[in-house]
Amino acid sequence: MTAQTALTLLLAIPLGAAPVIYLAGRIALKTRVKSGGASARILAVLALLAAMVPLYYAAMHFTSTGPLTLDINRISLQMDGISLLVALTALILGLCVTFFSTKYMQNDEGEEKFFALLMIMIVGIIGLVCATDLFNLWVWFEVMAVSSYLLVAFYRSQPDALEAGVKYLVQSATGSVFILLGIALTFAQTGVLNLHEIRLAVSAGGNSPIILSASVLMLIGFGVKAALVPLHTWLPDAHSQAPSGISAMLSGIVIEAGLVALLRSTGAVIVSHTTWGYLIMAFGALNLLVGNLMALRQTQVKRMLAYSSVSQMGYILVGIGVAVYTLQPEGAAGGFFHVITHSLMKGAAFLAAGALLYALRMAHHNHEPLTVSDLDGASQRYPVTAFFLAVALLALGGLPPLAGFMSKWQIFVAGFQSGNSLAIALVIFAAINSVLSLGYYAPLVNRMYRHEPSDLVKEGKPISWVMVLPLVIMTVAIVALGIWPPLVRWLTTPAAMSLLAIFGG
Amino acid sequence: MTTIPYIDMLTVMIVFGIGLYTLLITRNLIKVVIALQILVKAGMIALVLAGRINGQVMTGQSIALTVIVADTIVAVIALALAVQVKKHHGTVDLDKLRNLKG
Repeated sequence: MTAQTALTLLLAIPLGAAPVIYLAGRIALKTRVKSGGASARILAVLALLAAMVPLYYAAMHFTSTGPLTLDINRISLQMDGISLLVALTALILGLCVTFFSTKYMQNDEGEEKFFALLMIMIVGIIGLVCATDLFNLWVWFEVMAVSSYLLVAFYRSQPDALEAGVKYLVQSATGSVFILLGIALTFAQTGVLNLHEIRLAVSAGGNSPIILSASVLMLIGFGVKAALVPLHTWLPDAHSQAPSGISAMLSGIVIEAGLVALLRSTGAVIVSHTTWGYLIMAFGALNLLVGNLMALRQTQVKRMLAYSSVSQMGYILVGIGVAVYTLQPEGAAGGFFHVITHSLMKGAAFLAAGALLYALRMAHHNHEPLTVSDLDGASQRYPVTAFFLAVALLALGGLPPLAGFMSKWQIFVAGFQSGNSLAIALVIFAAINSVLSLGYYAPLVNRMYRHEPSDLVKEGKPISWVMVLPLVIMTVAIVALGIWPPLVRWLTTPAAMSLLAIFGG
Repeated sequence: MTTIPYIDMLTVMIVFGIGLYTLLITRNLIKVVIALQILVKAGMIALVLAGRINGQVMTGQSIALTVIVADTIVAVIALALAVQVKKHHGTVDLDKLRNLKG
């Protein structure tokens, strides 16, 4: 398989699968009244498994010969280090989520729509990270955004889910308009849309107020999706009200894809990488502090995990900010390593919480949120799921030898090596925040293991193996990456190099 | 670089200002959707204008056409959500949608 075919298929398989899944589900529903969603479920899992094959070939091609480009008329896609890393993470997490959701969404109305939209979301993420053109970036971004609006408000008879969907849609759509204005300003000033050509034109043209406003508009627009702190207010609502599989996707990969879009677009239009590095580090510090402090006062499990995503985003921003400031790859490698580990840890945490939510509430047709005290003594009734949730939470808190420790460690080391006093102070601040975050992870683990079972846990339904299998895979990955971090160095080092190429290093 | 045609630029700013102002003050979900539409229109004019400034009229206009498509999808979804909100909350007043806090 040539590299171009591989990249085309990687996008075409999930995109083509989406309407097929929807139609198959509808036809099955029309002909056989029961088990209408079964064909949709099976097709969704198969489509993502099939998409792994072209990704494998693309990865082989990338490691042997470097970035591969695909030109469809004037639309140009390029798979570089960042795209490969995010696409692989998106596919693996997407596969786990799809498999998990085959059980989780089984009794819900409109199951075929759920899987079709999930495919579109995954293809949106892959296209977004491969785009080399400012406007294509926006189009893929909208594809991802539109599918996620619908998925967040998927339980459309639940008033809270609708409220979260409305909030998310209004904020995100306003953000896209800001991006559009930024694109228009950049296009007016430089006359090109290709990110690389924009970069050349901007560095030749020097500092101009138009380009500066464009970069600020893009920072605001993409910042909404990347949950930079003053713009994060949609996140806790959307993540806690979405179906659990979608919470895992949103937290694990969508906000990171938003960050990649932010870095790619602003990387092309900024003039001074040191100022921009400081700015990203400042947002990192804000995300860490606000995310942790808000998570501390949550009583709902999924809402707490959502705020913890805000703070985990802070670590990624710190790592990338240090790299952008110094133009050294170590910080970015740590940041991108944290993208991988965060998607595994937060994915596992949301899926485990979702499995418990399903067993304790949704199997009784109850859509109330799961609170922390509902999980009292969950380990006695659900030893396996509680164990996986505990591992994921402790990994998020940064306990060695789990993956979260290693990625945070790499970011901290990069910060110290930069020699910049501000970066060192920031890294110490981040380490203190890591301790602070145990203040909400540890009590949950404690409740699950050391409290008497609550009434809810005693009445809970059993958890199917379908929901446990993705947790097993992700937990094994968390432990493996914690013990042997070089396992993903072939992904993180090229991604860091690509980031430096974006910022002109 | 040519000088920017000031009247067109002013139009973009005014339309954008109207959209943003409406978005900030209104509490009715339908009006919020309309405000979003006005905002996007400002973006479209800006894109067409950008194409004219640097002499790539066709690129600017084709981009604006793509934006129309994407923007329509968002508007449809927003209105569909508004219908569901009216059905399950009994109102489209955003001040009444205040269950999620903290």
